[in-house]
Amino acid sequence: MSGLKLRGVRKSFGSVEVIRGIDLDIEPNEFVVFVGPSGCGKSTLLRMIAGLEGITEGELDIGGTRMNDVDPSKRGIAMVFQTYALYPHMSVRQNMGFALKFAGVAKDEIDRQVDEAARILELAPLMHRRPGELSGGQRQRVAIGRAIVRHPEVFLFDEPLSNLDAELRVHMRIEIARLHKELATTIIYVTHDQVEAMTLADKIVVMRDGSVAQVGSPLTLYDDPDNLFVAGFIGSPKMNFLKGVVAESGADVRLPEYGDQIIPLHDSVARPAAGTDVTVGIRPEQFEPDGRTKLDLKIEMIEHLGGETYVYASHNDGEVITVAARDARAVKPGQNFVARFNPTSVLLFGTDGNRIR
Amino acid sequence: MNFMIVRRAAVYLSLSIATFISIFPFYWMVVGATNESRDIVTGKSTIGTNLVANFQNLLAQVDLAQVFWNSAVVAIAATVLTLAVSSLAGYGFEIFRSRVRERIFQILLLLLSIPFAALMVPLFVMISRAHLSNTFTAVILPTVASIFIIFYFRQATKAFPGELRDAARVDGLKEWQIFLYVYLPSMRSTYAAATIIVFMTSWNNYLWPLIVLQTEDKKTITLVISSLTSAYTPDFGVILLSTVLATLPTLIIFFVLQRQFVQGMLGSVK
Repeated sequence: MSGLKLRGVRKSFGSVEVIRGIDLDIEPNEFVVFVGPSGCGKSTLLRMIAGLEGITEGELDIGGTRMNDVDPSKRGIAMVFQTYALYPHMSVRQNMGFALKFAGVAKDEIDRQVDEAARILELAPLMHRRPGELSGGQRQRVAIGRAIVRHPEVFLFDEPLSNLDAELRVHMRIEIARLHKELATTIIYVTHDQVEAMTLADKIVVMRDGSVAQVGSPLTLYDDPDNLFVAGFIGSPKMNFLKGVVAESGADVRLPEYGDQIIPLHDSVARPAAGTDVTVGIRPEQFEPDGRTKLDLKIEMIEHLGGETYVYASHNDGEVITVAARDARAVKPGQNFVARFNPTSVLLFGTDGNRIR
Repeated sequence: MNFMIVRRAAVYLSLSIATFISIFPFYWMVVGATNESRDIVTGKSTIGTNLVANFQNLLAQVDLAQVFWNSAVVAIAATVLTLAVSSLAGYGFEIFRSRVRERIFQILLLLLSIPFAALMVPLFVMISRAHLSNTFTAVILPTVASIFIIFYFRQATKAFPGELRDAARVDGLKEWQIFLYVYLPSMRSTYAAATIIVFMTSWNNYLWPLIVLQTEDKKTITLVISSLTSAYTPDFGVILLSTVLATLPTLIIFFVLQRQFVQGMLGSVK
């Protein structure tokens, strides 16, 4: 199994730079997820790794070999596309064996490998059907099967679940996780769905405007984001951001929009100068009934999810704060609501968007 | 309610008139082929008993097998070559990015507006200088790069998913293999529709074969029908029978490819 190294990788279309110098190490057998909003360049980066887009500048290394100018079929990769990209005129068996046929593999060997992939993916009863006769989930399994038979060093998945309904997406997510264990191979997976990223990845690469915003394990990104973008992108519902000012003592942050509530700065946090504007980040699930700091809010909307309730509330019609409340079944829109949290759980960000550590 | 009924009646009436206008000439042609010339002139529009006699007369005047062979060779060769060249061009125009692509395509579309009458003299001079006059090559060659068919294939290629091409590249196919093994079979209905259009155009082509084909042994069915009509006393029964026979191949092709033709005109990838 191969790892990948990207060094200073850039991509331009004419004068527009879409990938702006990516440095990244991916270990063998690692499940890496590229995540980010639409247009951040994650799919372009994946296509550059696949060889479907050229690399304008920088080095791409797969399994210790420079791959910048190598044909896609010779990079040791296999790709699963968002729209499945199954050949519509071929049966499932023909689709899965097509690459091997072109590689000159003997028919018996193709049949053996296709049957093996069909067994892993439970596709055996569908082998003679055409893609048009399959459901979305079945098509996606065939697309994965087509990738498996090539025995690639690296699997590339380009938003493979985004065309499936919610239930099937959860099912296929578990399937892909199982496959990663069974095949023990490197996987690079692109998605804009951060739940997929959090549940599947060993390592998440958060991308923004063609650059890497942060790389880390799912929980590292959740607990310890480097900047406002990552803090806001990872986690659902997203983190609340409150405007704050460092108090004159330098040891506290005031929240002017919330009646000058005081948040004492943690000892381990760097102390910005008094009067500095900061952003205070707190996740909806970090509000707790016995928290020391309180925000007086008015409820605007409520979402009951059964096990949990999300309360959307604001202070004096200001920024809407999302609070995950376990015992809030009785609350109603228009009511006053006190949200409490412990100052130790908040994160501080400077005016440049970077974390104050 | 009354308004709805009147509107529906008006729609059915206009559709019935349109259907009658479309079908009657065909009906009249088939009926005429079974009647004597003088019955046709007097306007008889029921099935007659002169079909066999008309057929014998036609065979006496025309080497039917030779004429059909000539038309078939021209139409089949033109269809195969036009589809090969024009579909490749349409595919290329849509798939490959280039700065000058749109400009070249606009020039091609502009060329569509030049009438054939303006082209036939220079074309004839070119064919003569190439010593190709009175050959099937002369009939076929100018039709091979059809701007309309290039345009049609370019539009149809827009429905060809880019990810299929990407998947084929990852599977190790070269560009020509992608065209041959992925694009071509995926676009069957587009090819079927284009086959009907090109075959019908080529089979029914009259003016250009009239200019470049001179000897009797090379003449196509349209030229022969035309020569039958220009006789001193034209036999309308024979003329209409030859017209029926000339219509049969295009009808057969249309009915065989009808389903794909409709899909192809709708632009689906199957």
